[in-house]
Amino acid sequence: MSNIDRRTLVKGSLAAMTAGAAMSRGAFAQSSEPILLGVSGPLTGPNAQYGTQWKQGFDLALDEILAAGGINGRKLAYSFEDSQSDPRQSVAIAQKFVSDPRIVMELGDFSSTASMAASPIYQRGGLVQFGFTNSHPDFTKGGDFMWSTSVSQADEQPLLAQYAVRRLGLKKLAVLHLNTDWGRTSRDYFVKAAKEYGAEVAVTEGYIAEERDFRSTLVRVRDANPDGLILVSYYSDGALIARQARQVGLKQTICAASSVYSPKFLELGGDAVEEVHLGTRYFPEDPRPEVQKFIAGFKKKYNGQEPDAFNAYSYDAMNMAAAIVKIGGTDRRAIRDAFTKVKDVPSVIFGKATFDVESRRVKGAMNAELVVRKGQFALWDGKPT
Amino acid sequence: MSSWLDYTINGLIVGNVYALVAVGLALIFGVSRLINFAQGSIYLVGAYIGWVAVVQLHTPLPLTIIVVAVAAALVGLIIERFGLRPLQNSVRIAPLLATIGISFVLDQLVMLTFSPNPRALPSQLPDVRFQIGGGTIEPLDLLIAGVGLTSALLLFVFLRYTKLGWAVRATAQDRDAAMQMGVDVNRVNQAVFGIAAALGGVSGLLVGMYYNQIDTAMSLQATLKGVVAEVVGGAGNVPGAVIGSLLLGLVESYGVAAFGTSYRNLFAFLLLVVVLVLRPNGLFASARQAPPEPLTGTFIAPSRPVRIPRWALLVVLGVFAILPLLPVSLYVLQTLINAWLLGMLALSLTLVAGTIGQVSLGHAALLAIGAYTSALLSLTFSVPVGFAIIGGGLMSAALGTALISPSFRLRGHYVSIATLAIGEIVSLVILNWEGVTRGPIGVSGIPPLSLFGYELISPTSIYWFSFVVMVVLALLQARLLGSHLGRSFRAIRDDDVAARAYGLSLNRYKSLAFIFGGFAAGISGGIAAHLYSYINHETFNTQQSILALTVVILGGLGNVVGAVVGSVALVGLPEVFRIAAEYRILIYGIVLLLLVRFRPQGLLGTI
Repeated sequence: MSNIDRRTLVKGSLAAMTAGAAMSRGAFAQSSEPILLGVSGPLTGPNAQYGTQWKQGFDLALDEILAAGGINGRKLAYSFEDSQSDPRQSVAIAQKFVSDPRIVMELGDFSSTASMAASPIYQRGGLVQFGFTNSHPDFTKGGDFMWSTSVSQADEQPLLAQYAVRRLGLKKLAVLHLNTDWGRTSRDYFVKAAKEYGAEVAVTEGYIAEERDFRSTLVRVRDANPDGLILVSYYSDGALIARQARQVGLKQTICAASSVYSPKFLELGGDAVEEVHLGTRYFPEDPRPEVQKFIAGFKKKYNGQEPDAFNAYSYDAMNMAAAIVKIGGTDRRAIRDAFTKVKDVPSVIFGKATFDVESRRVKGAMNAELVVRKGQFALWDGKPT
Repeated sequence: MSSWLDYTINGLIVGNVYALVAVGLALIFGVSRLINFAQGSIYLVGAYIGWVAVVQLHTPLPLTIIVVAVAAALVGLIIERFGLRPLQNSVRIAPLLATIGISFVLDQLVMLTFSPNPRALPSQLPDVRFQIGGGTIEPLDLLIAGVGLTSALLLFVFLRYTKLGWAVRATAQDRDAAMQMGVDVNRVNQAVFGIAAALGGVSGLLVGMYYNQIDTAMSLQATLKGVVAEVVGGAGNVPGAVIGSLLLGLVESYGVAAFGTSYRNLFAFLLLVVVLVLRPNGLFASARQAPPEPLTGTFIAPSRPVRIPRWALLVVLGVFAILPLLPVSLYVLQTLINAWLLGMLALSLTLVAGTIGQVSLGHAALLAIGAYTSALLSLTFSVPVGFAIIGGGLMSAALGTALISPSFRLRGHYVSIATLAIGEIVSLVILNWEGVTRGPIGVSGIPPLSLFGYELISPTSIYWFSFVVMVVLALLQARLLGSHLGRSFRAIRDDDVAARAYGLSLNRYKSLAFIFGGFAAGISGGIAAHLYSYINHETFNTQQSILALTVVILGGLGNVVGAVVGSVALVGLPEVFRIAAEYRILIYGIVLLLLVRFRPQGLLGTI
C-alpha cells in the first residue's frame, strides 16, 4: 500500500477523473497535501515479484525523507497503479497520471514493452517518465521527458567482462542470457568487451523467461568446452542454471551479471551457487555511508531481510525523485528541467548520481567484485576458485 | 555421439516432469471432454501447500505427499461442485471458460497469500547422484517417474477393472445413456476431479522440489506443456499422455541440440500442430475409437439473442461518438481506445469462433502479424501510416488464414488447441527471426498514427479514429452475417455434415471467415503498434488471446454488438477495480465466474 490514506487517494482520483480536464494544474498545490508521484508497475501477473520489491525500496526511502523533514516541509507520497507489465494497461495508467494534476512525475514501468508503449503519452502530456529499471537503449530516445537511472549495459557489461577475463583469467566463455531486450543487449556488450580483453566466446544461448529446464542447453555448453560460464540472468533463473550446471557435472567457474544479486539467489541456488562470481554495484560490507544507511534501514524496516538489487534501484529512484522535486517544485516542466540541474545525489548504485544531459542517463555505476562463499556474498579476495 | 545420449536422457527426464500434469489433464478430458485450464493452478496450490508442509511443519516426505494430495483433492472437489457442476446443462463452452476463471482466482489467491516472490522448496530425498552418460540422475527423477507411471497404471487398471471405473468410461462415452443405466454421473465426475487434482497437487510439489523453486508464474506454463503432451498422446488417453509427454521432452531436447535454446518451445508447438494435422485423435488413439467430438453441433448452443431496438443502438453510438466533447477525463478516453482496439479483435474472433464455430485460442497472433507488418512497412519502407495499417490487416488476413488452414479439418477442442499452438509459434518466430523482426530487442520508434498527412496524437483524435474504424468493421460484419454468406457460416457451425450435404465447401467458407476476421484483427494490431510506438514479441501474448475469447463468450458468440459490449466490460472492469489494487484480478476472476454461471450464453446471446 502506498503511504497515503487509500480513501483520500480514491476520492482524489475519482475527483480527478471527472474534473481533471477542467481543473488547472496548480489547484492541488496546497501545502497540506502530499506531493504525489505516480508509479506504474506490476503488482499482479508474471512480474509481480519485482513490483513488490519496488515498494519495499520506495517505502524505506520515503520514511527517511519524511524523517528528514520531507520536501520543504511537505510530505512525499506515491500512488502505485498495477500494470501487470501489460502495455494496454500501462498506456491507460499513463493517461490517468497525465490527467491527474496532483501527479508531478511518474516512475516505471518495469518491462520495456509496458514502459515504452506508454512513453508517447508521457512525452505528449509533458509528464516526466522516470524509468529507473529501463535499460533498453531506446528508452530515453522516446523524448526529453524520459529519464533513467538504470545502469546502462554499455557500462555494466565491460566491468563484468573485465572481472571474468582479466581478473579471473577465463579465456573461453559460454554466455547464457535471458532472451529479452535486456538480456540480448547485455550479451552483445559483454561479448564485445570480452573479445577486446582477449577471450573467446565459444557459445551463446538465449532462453525465454519461463524456462526451467536447462539440461539440454548445458550439454551444448559442455560440448563447446568453455572454461567459464557467464550468466546474464535474474536471480531465479540464474539459480536454476547454476544448480543444473553443477548437477550435470559442469565444474567451470560461473560468473554472473549483477541482477542475480539477491538473498533469493542464495536461497534458491543452495550449495550450487557457492563460488559463483558476480559484479555488483554495492555489497553489505561496502563502507560507503549511503550503502550502510540503506542496508541498516532496510533490515530494520523489514525484519532483518537483506535488500537486493531491485530494492536498491527503487530506493535510489525515490531518493532521486525527492532531490528532483526539491529543485523543480511541483511544476511538471520545472521537474523535467530539474533533471539537468540535479548534481551528486547520494546513491547506492552510483555513489554520487548526476545525469548526463545528452543521453538522459547516469553514467559511472559503482563496481564491486563479489563471490559467494559459505552461503554469503563476500568481496572477492583475489584467490582463484 | 555421446552427446546425443545425453540429449535423449535429458529429454526423457523433462518429459517425465510434463507427464505428471498431462495425466491429470487426460483423465479429466477422458470423462468430461473438458480441457481443464485450472489444472496448472491446482499444481501451483499443491506446490505451495507442500512448501508450508516442508518448510513450516517439517513433515517427512511420505506425509508431505499425503497432505498435498488430500488438500489438492479437496480443492478439486470444490471446483467440481461449485465451479463446474452448475454448468453441466449449459452450453459446452461454459465449463472451459469457467476453468479459466477458476485458474485466475486460484493463482491470485496463492499470490496474495504467499507474495509473488519465488521460494525455495528443498527436496527431502537424499542427495545422491547416479552417473548416466555425461549427466546424472537423482532419486527425485526416479520418484517423479515412479509417480507418473504408477498413477497412469493405477488409473488404467481403475478405468478398466473397477465398477466406478466402468462408470467413468460409460459417462465418457455417453452421459445420458450412463445416467439412464443408473450411473451416478455426479459421483463419477467427483471421483475424477478428486483424483486428477490430487495428482496435479503432487506434481506441483515434486516439480517444485526438483527445481528447488516455486513461484506463482508456474501455473500457465505447466498447463500449456501439459495440454501439448496430452493432445500429442491422444486426448483422454491416460497411458498415451505419458508417452506424449516423453515424446515432447525428447523433441524439445533434440530441438535445443540442433538449433539452440531459444528454439525449444517452437519445436514443442510444431510437434503439436503436426500431430493434430496428421492424427487428430493423438498418436495412440485406436482406430475404432469414437471421434472425441459429436458429429453434429459443436460447443455452441443456439440461444435467443437479446434484441436491441435500433434507436437504442443509435443513441448509444451517438453518445460514444460525442463523448470527447463532454467533460470526461482523458483517462476514460484512453481506456475506451483500448476497448475499441480489443473490440476489433473480438469482432474477428466472434466471427470465426461464434459464427463459424472455430474457437481460436491463438488470436493474438493475428494482432502481432498486423502490428509487425504495419510497423515495419512504415519504418523500413516509409509507407504512410494509414496504408501501413491496411497492409497489416491484409497480411494478417493472408498469413493468418494460411497458417490456420491445415487445421480446418479439426473440430471442437482440437481447433482451440491447434490455434493455441499456432499463436505460440508466431510469437516464437517473431522472437527468433531477428533479420526481419529485430528479435528480442523489438521494434521501437514506430511513427504515430496519421491520416492524410495529419498526425493523430491527441487522445481525442485517436479515440475518434479507433471508434470509427471499429464501427465500420462492426457494420460490415453485421451486413455479412445477414447475408447468404453469414447463413452459410452458421450452417457449418450448427451441422457441418448437413452443410456439406447441401453443397457448401467447408474449407472455402472457413477460409473466408478467417480472411475477414484476420483483416479486422490485423487492423487492430496495426493501430496498436502506432499507438505504443514500441512492440516486441511479448506485446501480444497468450493472455491477450484468452482475454479476447472471454470477451466473445461474455458478449454472446457470433454477436457483433455483444463483442463490443464485452470489450468495454472487460477493459473497463479491471480499471474500475483499480481501487482494489492487488485484489483486482481476483475480483475480476470472480465476476467472470459469476457471469459464466448465470449467463453462459453471453450477455446478449448467441446469434
